[in-house]
Amino acid sequence: MEELIEKIKSSIHLSFKAEEYIRSISKVKIVAKGATLIRQGQPVNKIYFVTDGCLRSYCTDKNGKEHTLQLAIKNWWISDYIALHNNELATLTIESLKESTVIEFKAKQLEKMFTRFPEYESFQRRILERHVVSLHKRILNQLQLTAPERYDLFLTQYPDIEKYTRNYHIASFLGITQESLSRIRVEKAKK
Amino acid sequence: MKALQIVKYGEIKDSLSFNEVSKPAILTNDVLIEIKAAAINPIDKSIILGHLQAMIPIPFPRTIAYDVSGVVVEKGAEVSNLEIGDLVYARVPQEQMGTVAEYVAVTSTVVSRKPGNISFEEAASIPLAGLTALQSLEYAGIKANDKVLIHAGSGGVGSFAIQYAKAKGAYVYTTTSTANVAWVKALGADRVIDYKTEDYKTIVKDADIVFDTLGQNYALEAFEVIKQGGKVVSVVGPIDEETAKMFGMADYKLPEELSQLCSAKEATYKFIFMHPNGAHLEQIKSMIEEEIIKPIIDKVYPFTESIEAINHLASGRAKGKIVIKIS
Repeated sequence: MEELIEKIKSSIHLSFKAEEYIRSISKVKIVAKGATLIRQGQPVNKIYFVTDGCLRSYCTDKNGKEHTLQLAIKNWWISDYIALHNNELATLTIESLKESTVIEFKAKQLEKMFTRFPEYESFQRRILERHVVSLHKRILNQLQLTAPERYDLFLTQYPDIEKYTRNYHIASFLGITQESLSRIRVEKAKK
Repeated sequence: MKALQIVKYGEIKDSLSFNEVSKPAILTNDVLIEIKAAAINPIDKSIILGHLQAMIPIPFPRTIAYDVSGVVVEKGAEVSNLEIGDLVYARVPQEQMGTVAEYVAVTSTVVSRKPGNISFEEAASIPLAGLTALQSLEYAGIKANDKVLIHAGSGGVGSFAIQYAKAKGAYVYTTTSTANVAWVKALGADRVIDYKTEDYKTIVKDADIVFDTLGQNYALEAFEVIKQGGKVVSVVGPIDEETAKMFGMADYKLPEELSQLCSAKEATYKFIFMHPNGAHLEQIKSMIEEEIIKPIIDKVYPFTESIEAINHLASGRAKGKIVIKIS
């Protein structure tokens, strides 16, 4: 919890009342490896801030195969924003890839924060900007980089992640088959 | 809901019928699965033909098949291992048989979440064959460097067993026909024996484990290739005394010839009666997600062509599993 408060304070002036409100609407949650926080097809009303560990959001297609959208490590926010924004059932499932610690917020209460403490809105805007930047980079990388280049970049962005992810988590994040990922790794090992 | 049902014993074309039946009701320990895919196995053919009516009497009409993948849409009050919306796979217990249908109610402890990297069709192809192979080879205590003979490497059980045995570090011999040699080799088998041109009994020596999936004389012949103190496990051979007791046949004795062969080689013979098990499916899920094991599918049929699918199975020519896509 303290990390998040410090993070907010480093970005905006957070009044004592605003800090108190944040503490009152959030709770720290330890999430066991393999546990599911949001489930595709179910209602969504929570947003999570990761303070430790790693969560994965993925969509299961009609054939039953998983496609990884986001891998959220320390200091990332994660939820099903499609469902929250459109007031729909979850499009994504969010699971914990290792024991993780998250700060859980009810989406509606977090929204009230904007009206009660307008200064918080600029913090939230910066989060969203960072999120958009990350998504744009991910799309551009997908369009212009080769699969081995994407894998290299992935490893710099997520060092150590291979210790607790399965191959198909990474392959489905990069948009390649598990066979291609194995080939890329073999080629990389030869260099 | 629509279901493919066995209405009497006999020829496949006369014994099956698509019927409109009520959606199964769940008990407190069950989940209701909306079926995406079902797979069929040789046992389904044997049931239809009436070969198993003494052991597994079927009250007609009864929906057929055991392998399933799909989505949990309801759960009983006491179910704690699964949630509504989970994508799952299972080999359903005998009393809940009936997966060529739109829904099936299944005891939650035999159900596992499906591997995330494969389709519903691929997931449905796994449970019965995978559990049979895993439980047989684990019963035999498979370990690294064991010499293992797996009969019928191109079958559903055999193709899974080869991959499982290789994952355990064993040296794998397998038998198959000429047409299947290449792809069975690609599964990882160390020595593929083409039974049309080679005699496996002259090639395999001192095996630690023989896994018989063929029956007839293969369980007896296993003792010619097994080492002193080896293990013969069979899913189709004569039942053993322990299994007989399980079925209430207290006076049953292992056939004399088999008993003598066991003594001569100080070997053990065990008939493996596969039991549905969610924890074992969890293990298999991990192995599939790590691509240690890959599903092998011969053909996927639409629900409306389920009877053709069973005829294909009965032909005995399938390379891998036959799956029925339900929705």
